[in-house]
Amino acid sequence: MSAAATTDGAPAGGRGDAVIRAEGLVKSYGAFRALDGLDLTVERGEVHGFLGPNGAGKSTTIRVLLGLLKANAGTVELLGGDPWKDVVALHRRLAYVPGDVTLWPGLTGGQAIDLLGNLRGGLDEERRRDLVERFELDTAKRGRQYSKGNRQKVALVAALSSDVELLILDEPTSGLDPLMEAVFQEEIAKEKARGRSVLLSSHILSEAEALADRISIIRSGKIVDVGTLDELRRGTRTSVQAVLRTPPADPAELRFVKDARLDGTKFTGTVEPDQINEAMAELSRHQISALTVAPPSLEDLFLRHYGTEDDRS
Amino acid sequence: MTAVAGLRPLLKVALVQDRRNIAPWVVLITALSASSVLAYAWVFPDEASRRQLTATLGSNPALALIFGPARDLSTADGFNAWRAGALGAFFAALMAVFIVIRNSRADEDSGQAELLASGVMGRQTRLATAMAMAAFASIALGAVSWLVTLACGGGPWDSLALSATFAGSGLMFTGVAGIAANIGSDARTANTLAVAVLGVAFIVRGYLDAAQAAPWTAWLTPFGWLEEVRPASGNNPWPLLAAVAFAALTAGLALALNRNRDFGMGLIAPKPGPGRGGRETTVWGLAFRLNRGSVISWLIAFAALGVVFGFLAGPVSDVLGDGSAFLPTGASAGSSSMLFAFLVQILQIVAIIAAVFGVQIVMRIYAEETDYRVEPLLAASLSRAKYLASNAVIAFAAPAIALLITGAVLGVVVTATEPGISAGEVFGQAAATIPAVWVLVALALAAVGARPDARLVGWLGVVATFALTLLGPLFRLWDWVLGISPLHHVPSVTAPHPDWTGLLIVALVGLAFTTVAFAGFRRRDIL
Repeated sequence: MSAAATTDGAPAGGRGDAVIRAEGLVKSYGAFRALDGLDLTVERGEVHGFLGPNGAGKSTTIRVLLGLLKANAGTVELLGGDPWKDVVALHRRLAYVPGDVTLWPGLTGGQAIDLLGNLRGGLDEERRRDLVERFELDTAKRGRQYSKGNRQKVALVAALSSDVELLILDEPTSGLDPLMEAVFQEEIAKEKARGRSVLLSSHILSEAEALADRISIIRSGKIVDVGTLDELRRGTRTSVQAVLRTPPADPAELRFVKDARLDGTKFTGTVEPDQINEAMAELSRHQISALTVAPPSLEDLFLRHYGTEDDRS
Repeated sequence: MTAVAGLRPLLKVALVQDRRNIAPWVVLITALSASSVLAYAWVFPDEASRRQLTATLGSNPALALIFGPARDLSTADGFNAWRAGALGAFFAALMAVFIVIRNSRADEDSGQAELLASGVMGRQTRLATAMAMAAFASIALGAVSWLVTLACGGGPWDSLALSATFAGSGLMFTGVAGIAANIGSDARTANTLAVAVLGVAFIVRGYLDAAQAAPWTAWLTPFGWLEEVRPASGNNPWPLLAAVAFAALTAGLALALNRNRDFGMGLIAPKPGPGRGGRETTVWGLAFRLNRGSVISWLIAFAALGVVFGFLAGPVSDVLGDGSAFLPTGASAGSSSMLFAFLVQILQIVAIIAAVFGVQIVMRIYAEETDYRVEPLLAASLSRAKYLASNAVIAFAAPAIALLITGAVLGVVVTATEPGISAGEVFGQAAATIPAVWVLVALALAAVGARPDARLVGWLGVVATFALTLLGPLFRLWDWVLGISPLHHVPSVTAPHPDWTGLLIVALVGLAFTTVAFAGFRRRDIL
């Protein structure tokens, strides 16, 4: 795995119909480079997970895509247009949910939804009613009375009830409770079934794992990995957890299990995907009483890019 | 004292945090005092020029409205007490109001206060800290202003008395702001309440001074008390004690109100509103809705100004009839033309207040942006030009309407007592003043549109116009310097051949600023 693997994961032949294509984006604030040659491609009809920790450049990327910031270098194409120049026409075809929604203190949630919908050229009345009900939103409260999760719901209802091709969601579920998070995931699945494209920026990995067709991982303003979850897992080891009745004296003597560790009878380690059979044979000699074999979760992949390689730069 | 536990550590941190916001006020007010001592010797070097100053200023009611009565203009300290006294007290009060609200109410809106309130901290600590900060700043202002004025050549006792009135004014409005912070349900409302009290007190004092009302009326407003200190012409310290007592009383009331108030709420609870959007779902409607409250209150205030200034015309024409030497440039002899010249000056003052109104609306555009409320709008199908236009229209229209309202009311009220004046001409004069206000609004708009870092320029334009218009002639500045003020180019409509070219140029400059604003707003990054 190297940091240079930037756009390798993009499917071949996908060039024809991308809703977002950014190449070599650079955005600097003084000496600080928020974006440092970022490449990002979102194909039509896919839910694209955009993962990275706080401060990695996710929101800056999105603001460039929305034409709010002008990139210092690089090219951006959004729905076939230039996000800086064709603002009005392009924004009619997309909806956006910011990660930290601030509402107008004097306007009610319902007024804010209608304002945002109206500016986008009207919203689907039936869908609006349905979403308000599903998200259990009180639309008669004033902006300053809403909790964070409820403010987020206002923005979600406004975005999801618009008739658009592309949804740009910047950490859309921050502040939502688990029930509402589930509603959100169902609604995004519906949007996808309708053929809409979604850019889903998040640091909630289970959300991305459940929804995203492809994933881009950003680190310090650069994409460090991109592909489907399977593609991201390629070349990574499967993790094994087992309880052994007769554990080996030295776990290092197991040939096919790497990073082996033993804590009493609890055994953990990793295995190359093509050596699982050999590894199991080796382990079964020690009387397995419980066993979990799982491909690396997104969290493992994520931590590999951030946790252990922090000192790389 | 568990009610204010944690006061000391919080005060220390808050003062360090806020010093950059407080320092400019101290510098400004100190400069006001120090500069008049310095300028006096330079502009009025001899006895003759000082006598002439006393003769012209002593009886100018329009200036008395802003600066209070001129008691003794024959010494530098007396001149300083007049030029810096009322104005310095006004700014000191404004400083105190902003400090208190910023450090109590505004933090509750932003959620920062919640973090503090969860710490080991008494219920009233945050409000007590905010008021302690304002009190500290007021006293520091008094000390700095005294020392600097002294260093510039002011008399020790006279300067002390003057600087003490600044501190007294700050202390009194610390308490007023503390009460307002408990009544309003957010920082903006609380600020409006406190500044409204301040404005009314200042205008009432101005009216009484300009009308040369009975001496006891000086005790009607807090600013009147401070005038009774009479710096450089008596130095009477007793009214200051009254000011301190007033401050203690209002501060105590504020703390009492605070004890029973829910966090984040005011005395006026917000009501639920409509679940569906109406007119405010367009960008034009939104801009109107966001500014509605403040526009309505300002317009009422402007109508009230028209009434107050209109009633002033009667007493003023008596003052003018006393055979004083008050004769503004361009006015020919005759009592009604002198009165009209006075009305022109009044409309200049109203124009400056209208410019404050307009610039405030412009500054709100940027405040919305820093609150990240512009981002979701521009992420919808809305062009930047249209967004800016929706706010710019209000920033231009509202002060213009305000001037017209004052002009109409002023005209009607004046003609009731002074038949020599035509209401139509007063209204016409108000209308003619509008382009001068617009150019100041456009300057602020250019800054907010193109370079928001430099948005202070908007306020500097208003301050410079104020200084040049009201004080410039006094310091006998060159014509080209006075011409920097757009109000200098507004002709009197009663002149036989009013010269409109200057005003046309002013309007064109305003147009240029507006163009810069829109061109810049299209190009810059949005927060």
